[in-house]
Amino acid sequence: MGTKRRADRPPEAYLPLPPATFHILLALADGELHGYAIMKGVAARSEGTVRLGPGTLYGSLKRLLEAGLVEEGGERADPERGDERRRYYRLTPLGLSVVRAEARRLDAMVRAARRKKLIGERPA
Amino acid sequence: MNAERIYRLLLRAYPRDFRAEYGREMMLVFRDQCEESDVRTVGFWAAVICDVARSAPALRVEATRTAEVIMKLAAMLTVLLGAYDIVSAVVEWVAGSKGAIDGTYVLAVVLGVFASVLLLGAGVAILLRTPWSRQAARLALVASLVMTLAARLLFPWMSIFSQLIGFGLPVGLLIALYWPRRPSTVRPA
Repeated sequence: MGTKRRADRPPEAYLPLPPATFHILLALADGELHGYAIMKGVAARSEGTVRLGPGTLYGSLKRLLEAGLVEEGGERADPERGDERRRYYRLTPLGLSVVRAEARRLDAMVRAARRKKLIGERPA
Repeated sequence: MNAERIYRLLLRAYPRDFRAEYGREMMLVFRDQCEESDVRTVGFWAAVICDVARSAPALRVEATRTAEVIMKLAAMLTVLLGAYDIVSAVVEWVAGSKGAIDGTYVLAVVLGVFASVLLLGAGVAILLRTPWSRQAARLALVASLVMTLAARLLFPWMSIFSQLIGFGLPVGLLIALYWPRRPSTVRPA
């Protein structure tokens, strides 16, 4: 009697992801990043439409760490941003599976919208 | 008062443990934002305040786990009241069996016992917190409600207390279990 271990739950059990969470996981898919780099990555990828503040970012990271989708990658200074040591974050294997599952889910929805001609064809 | 001191004040909106864990990094990120934006604009501070207003209350609620605590207490109360109802139905049955028993009364008591068992089961399911427990609890509560209604129709002299438990508790728990959950947390279903 008790809850299933986190590792035993399929990635689909975590879907749908909140938008901020998906953007953060997407940013971390490129490798380890610190908080400000995640924030910049999300803003760039969304062409400025999604801007995470520190509260939203670290609130989401806290939840992702608790859910086991993200883990800390140690502290070190970012040469481009001065001498201050910054905490880096990276995806866990579960986190990678979850973000892939969410991407597939969203892709299926976009394909369904295209079939109904709600949006245009996939660009070449 | 400079921008960092203002933000340090705004950080007090967050729970203490969260500030202890992430406060330094949040200040670092805010400093980075200040370097790349104009802190003298209303737009900058509007975005900062919106971020705090949106994220701090949710983190405080999560820190106290208010909703979970209330649900746990409600489930424990349901288990206790379900058990109480079963016991009181048995006592009523024993007391009633000393005289002539009306078939309608017997059926009402049996339905009442089943409704109490289902209520008790729903409370246990909510406390177990397995992937299927919420759905099982909902089904048990609906069935309990139907049986209590049938018992009430058969036996109009059902006590007010029994009716409160029989109707009020399942309805309240069903509302809580069907209340839409905001996807603000990342937890497996």
